[in-house]
Amino acid sequence: MAITDSRSSTSPPERSGLAKAFFDARIRSIVFQILTLAGVIGFFWWLVDNTITNLAARSLSAGFGFLDVSAGFGIGFTLISYTEGDTYLRVFAVGILNTLLVAVVSIVFATILGLLVGLARLSTNWIISGVARAYVELLRNTPLLLQIIAWYFGVFNLLPRPRDSVVLVEGFMLNNRGFYMPGPVPQDGWGLVVAAFVLALIGAITLYKYEEARRDRTGKSFPAISSGIAMVILVPMVVFLATGSPMEWTMPVLQGFNLVGGISVPPSFCALIVALSAYTSCFIAEIVRSGIQSVGKGQLEAAGALNLPANWTLRRVVLPQAMRVIIPPLISQYLNVTKNSSLAIAIGFPDLVSVWMNTSLNQSGRAIPIVAMTMAFYCIVSLSVSLVMNRYNRSVQLKER
Amino acid sequence: MTIVFQPKPSRPAPSNVVGPAAWLRQNLFKDIPNTLMTILGLYIAVTVVGWVLNWAVFNAVWDADNRRECLDMVGRSGACWPGVAKWLPNMIYGLYPKDQVWRINLGFLALIVWMIPLWMGGVKSKVAIGLSAVLLYPFLASYFFLGGSKGVVWSALIALGLSGFVWVWATAICERVTGLSVGEWIGRRFAGATEDVKQKRVRQIAALLLFLVCYGVVSQWSLPGVRTQLWGGLFLTLVISGIGITFSLPAGILLALGRRSNMPVISLLSTLFIELFRSVPLITILFMFNTMLPLFLPEGTSVNQLVRAIVAVCLFAAAYMAEVIRGGLQAIPKGQYEAAASLGLGYWQTTTQVIMPQALKIMIPTIVGNFIGLFKDTTLVSIIGLFDLMNMARAVGEDSDWLGLFIEPFFVVSLIYFVFCFAMSSYSIGLERKLSAGRDR
Repeated sequence: MAITDSRSSTSPPERSGLAKAFFDARIRSIVFQILTLAGVIGFFWWLVDNTITNLAARSLSAGFGFLDVSAGFGIGFTLISYTEGDTYLRVFAVGILNTLLVAVVSIVFATILGLLVGLARLSTNWIISGVARAYVELLRNTPLLLQIIAWYFGVFNLLPRPRDSVVLVEGFMLNNRGFYMPGPVPQDGWGLVVAAFVLALIGAITLYKYEEARRDRTGKSFPAISSGIAMVILVPMVVFLATGSPMEWTMPVLQGFNLVGGISVPPSFCALIVALSAYTSCFIAEIVRSGIQSVGKGQLEAAGALNLPANWTLRRVVLPQAMRVIIPPLISQYLNVTKNSSLAIAIGFPDLVSVWMNTSLNQSGRAIPIVAMTMAFYCIVSLSVSLVMNRYNRSVQLKER
Repeated sequence: MTIVFQPKPSRPAPSNVVGPAAWLRQNLFKDIPNTLMTILGLYIAVTVVGWVLNWAVFNAVWDADNRRECLDMVGRSGACWPGVAKWLPNMIYGLYPKDQVWRINLGFLALIVWMIPLWMGGVKSKVAIGLSAVLLYPFLASYFFLGGSKGVVWSALIALGLSGFVWVWATAICERVTGLSVGEWIGRRFAGATEDVKQKRVRQIAALLLFLVCYGVVSQWSLPGVRTQLWGGLFLTLVISGIGITFSLPAGILLALGRRSNMPVISLLSTLFIELFRSVPLITILFMFNTMLPLFLPEGTSVNQLVRAIVAVCLFAAAYMAEVIRGGLQAIPKGQYEAAASLGLGYWQTTTQVIMPQALKIMIPTIVGNFIGLFKDTTLVSIIGLFDLMNMARAVGEDSDWLGLFIEPFFVVSLIYFVFCFAMSSYSIGLERKLSAGRDR
């Protein structure tokens, strides 16, 4: 009696079909998903419906037909030739190239600066690490936009007129119209130098691969890296001299009120690069520092016990382990630089957002296609980078057994 | 006779490894390259600090009527502070009417007073107090800041905010003095120690009374309305970042849970949202909401520009927070889920009682880092034309009296941002130490 009683009390209470379905986790999850999907679709339906009505009311169109219409405004700084009569599509291309240029140049400077500051922060010298820490804390605790604007209005706009340019090195000049440097003009035979460089690079990589395989097989080592570097530098140099130095430089010279010749970039570009590199270098410094600190002390002691030479300890023990920690956040910093370059709009540098999402949008009124194209560009950049990142992460992850 | 071992007192360390001289030798002048580096570092530090001090203090002009006078006195070698001083009220309160500025001060003072019990010893319901600050304070603050006419519903919400404030302090004092929660104390005081039902009724009546009194008080208030177009300066920055921060944490938690959910539709939608908002710059989102929100909404609805900016900032911040939370969730070992399941806990119980507390605790530095990033990112609203702290600083240089005065206001604004951000990051480091004290033993 007692036994049957306890059994009946522990078995689940009898429920009707509907209640049973309500308490079934699987059915509940399906119903929930269907409801969510319906809600989201309904929401977008409502948005699209409103948009169509609004567009009709303002007699606007959402098509891409405007892309081959002449844009009719000038752009201050372009990498490809552009005139006021060119199409909107060309404006888009100019914007993308300017954005990528800012991103690449800033990334190079930020990495070098960040590496130096990160190593300085690890220094046992109290003053050096203190100065590096002050640099990092000051720059990363103030907004980037503020820094960009301060560099632009506070430094690059206050430089002297072209006539009294600040000469950094012969040929490299700064004034309130921008930064000027000698421009390369390739002559006949420059192609040969480039070809020699590519061949030397391929040769150096092959040499390194071969050396690695041979070392694994026989244990004999050979200075492949230094000889590879020597090859990459010396071979093109020999070809360059043999073909009679096929490169000439045009120097910027004062003509009237302005400097002419050479390569020049506007002050807004300089401010953007300086601010972006300085700001990002703080984050890179912290990444480098934490990466190197993440390698356990035991690893260094083990390398010492094996009597590895110092550069081997660095190259074969510390760096491979530190890189695993450094690379992923470093890449996300690079993506941040690309996104942050959009702040160029605040100081009038013609990057994608400024030239496309602002000027073109205001001129043509095609808000939807323009916003969609801008977002698509940034999405493609970050998704393709994160795709590469995921593959890299999988290849360096600790192989756990 | 027993011989007790008497250790000799240890000898002092050799004089060349202790004391300031040894510290200097060890840390600054170990060898020749190190000494050179020390000299270089000192040189940089002294030059920079000396230059800044010279410019900002010794050479600065403290009294002038316009920038011309400053330039005549010291040129560019010294700062011109009178311009900044004249604009400082604008940089803090925007164009908010001067005779109403006390409302902003009172609003932020109320928030600080509201939060004080969180740091008081002997207060137990800290989670409830924190939640009330997030859920109820905004009603009170928005009336202080916005003012204007209020309907019945609006008044009721403000009264709810006010009663929340009273409840927080009643709880704090009651728990500190008697050790009981305020409800329990009232129940025992007016209904005897044991009767459960009666106590409950007393508590309900007390809550109702509190609300009615607050409603009465609130209905007596009448503050003139201030349009959001007049909001600006540090005040606007704090409003936007405050709303962004309070929204991003819960929304980020939900999105992160959604992304890790085993329901394919939910996970797909969360992932799409997160990836889309994370891969584009904030400025494009601000632009998008600024230009396209009027297109998306039914004809005739007009959305305030401040609201557009806040919506954009909130969604952006939520996507970033979601990835941070997801990082924390991934760090929780599987055993925790299995342990929770073996205790018979369901999904929500497992998440709220077992997983989330641990995940949030590990991610505190990153979460605060994100808050700091968001606080700095609010400067971007200046690009779509809101007069936040930074845009106000920029406006100083466009005033006809102070034409071209850019560096000084930017210097002050940088200091303000630095103080806020540095305080937040230092606090998070302290909090992290305190919380990990029990874990890393």
